Amino acid sequence: MMKQLFDDMAADMEARLLDHYTARLRFTLENARLCQRLYSDTHRLAWCGVCAPFDLLNAMGISSCFVEYLGAVFAAAGSAGQFLEEAEHAGFPTDSCGWHRAVIGAAAKGMMPIPDVMIATSSPCTGGVAAVEHLARTFDCPLYVLAIPPDDSESSVRYLADQIRHMVDFVSAHTGEALDDDRLRYAMHKTNEAREAAIEMFHLAQRIPSPARAADLRNFGITLPLFLGTEAAVEIAQAYRDEFAARSGQGISGVQGERFRLMWLQEAIQFRHPLIKMLEENYQAAIVIEELDDIYWEPIDAEDPYIGLAQRTIAFPFNGQADRRLKHIKKLVQAYKIDGAINPCHWGCRQGTGARGLIGEALKELDVPVINLEVDCADARNFSEGQLRTRLEAFMEVLDSRPGRRSTN
Amino acid sequence: MYYLGVDLGSLSCDAVLLDHEGKIMAASVVPTGARNREAIARATQEVLEMARISEAEIKATISTGYGRDRVEGRLAAVTEITCHARGAHALLPGTQVLIDIGGQDSKAIRMDGGGRVLEFAMNDKCAAGTGRFLEAMARALQVDIGELCELDLGASKNLTLSSMCTVFAESEVVSLIADGVEVNEIVAGLNRAIASRIAALVKRIAPDVAGLKVAMSGGVAHNHGVVRALSSALNTEISVPQQPDTVGALGAALVARERMLP
Repeated sequence: MMKQLFDDMAADMEARLLDHYTARLRFTLENARLCQRLYSDTHRLAWCGVCAPFDLLNAMGISSCFVEYLGAVFAAAGSAGQFLEEAEHAGFPTDSCGWHRAVIGAAAKGMMPIPDVMIATSSPCTGGVAAVEHLARTFDCPLYVLAIPPDDSESSVRYLADQIRHMVDFVSAHTGEALDDDRLRYAMHKTNEAREAAIEMFHLAQRIPSPARAADLRNFGITLPLFLGTEAAVEIAQAYRDEFAARSGQGISGVQGERFRLMWLQEAIQFRHPLIKMLEENYQAAIVIEELDDIYWEPIDAEDPYIGLAQRTIAFPFNGQADRRLKHIKKLVQAYKIDGAINPCHWGCRQGTGARGLIGEALKELDVPVINLEVDCADARNFSEGQLRTRLEAFMEVLDSRPGRRSTN
Repeated sequence: MYYLGVDLGSLSCDAVLLDHEGKIMAASVVPTGARNREAIARATQEVLEMARISEAEIKATISTGYGRDRVEGRLAAVTEITCHARGAHALLPGTQVLIDIGGQDSKAIRMDGGGRVLEFAMNDKCAAGTGRFLEAMARALQVDIGELCELDLGASKNLTLSSMCTVFAESEVVSLIADGVEVNEIVAGLNRAIASRIAALVKRIAPDVAGLKVAMSGGVAHNHGVVRALSSALNTEISVPQQPDTVGALGAALVARERMLP
């Protein structure tokens, strides 16, 4: 059933792309293709944590994805509720992370493909490790845990690089798929090509007015790594770069008459809701950047990739102490000339709700207000549009009345 | 010409009418009930009758409150955060921290002393500490909500309630009554529980209120017991305007007037 759904979705997008090619559609097509592979019986499959080196797995011919992604797919499709309930019936608390509850419930209901191997990553959250461990037990599947050090000292990088090497051997032993040197080299070249194009694309998004809008970049930064090491990632990043360059060249902004430049922290609300449209249409507020829309890592040495992959993994903004994340947020706020930030404070997430005070303080130093929404980004059952609308509208009124702006209040 | 502010809240619909100089001509508070449109019409009709003017003489209407988008004929809808700040500034100039406890939400608003909102925090998705909470507690105590204001007087036992969940707190109150605890002790305990929760909200936007001018608006500000408990929790004096429940509507009317000024 799911396979058919994604087959139809991919076919529809391929047809639409022939008619009208857009970067977002190309990106969405690749997501549909990934889902096709995940739900086909013809590919080796690895369910992972967020920070797994997907380019390596792609080079091995393993279809791989972080488990939270599937929770987001269910939420976007409006079907997460039944899986969340299933997990709750099994005893998982309603205030635990919705992404993890959704996939745990889906696995219990037989709606999650059975993997050949699982790879947990200790970053960005220990909840993710626990969820992957639980799923590995559910599937009776071999599990490898990448323990990602919080710091980038030489010994920490070497420690993680050795683990990644060992992970490749582990995956190979359990799937029968070897990592050949030429495929590895090719994958790293593709990763670096995608990186270059993404850097250019993000520079363009920083322009005033920005050619980017929320619908373009939604989930881009968190999802692009799934396609790294392949030509698809290069095509997607280049398509965005070219589209942003064309828009900028023609003086077209992502949100017509851009008045406010906003940053969305952590992850997007995945189920359908009208709040972004309301911000764009009623306030000409453009979400020009999501927190993970950034290239924070150096090119990978194709001849000796493991050190570079380890450095990239450690540099993930959510890894280690909150300082790294705060520094990253501040860098983006300054680069994108952000007027205000929206923190969804995803329920049950220690990164999301736990860091909100620290984020508020850090942004105050830059005189950038932040609004905390307190929403479960996965669970539409707890969504209260009126409450969030009031918070966001009041936030826009605060931004609008700040000195230097012509107030409309 | 006149300016109308309508605040459609979950418990009451309030209207305030201003004249061209910004002077309050009339104010009205009616229960929202199940039919929003009827409440809006009734509140509007009341202020028109009090001021003896016709609807045609209203130059602009601004709506606010959770039902702000349901007010027809409005110039614009503005959130209750902005409107309460404007209204509080007009009635209590120089207010820097405003606490608004309404029917289903509570807000702490940091202002610049000129009525402009600098920062705000709202209650999490929970009605604890709001007008609805007090309604439920009054029901459990079998008293009229208006009577709650002074029922804490004379309490001395410093009773604490262990739960702020409206459902659990109601059960706890029922148990306390069954145990023979005096009503004034229970009400004082409830007020302290609300105050503790609201004080935490205030601290999010003003970690230290010492030296700041603090005011309170919204229907719950009529409850002197809650104001006293909050004042004690924050260790500061809290000013309350004469008609705290119409502060939002007043702010809306002021915004209407400002927007029509040349």
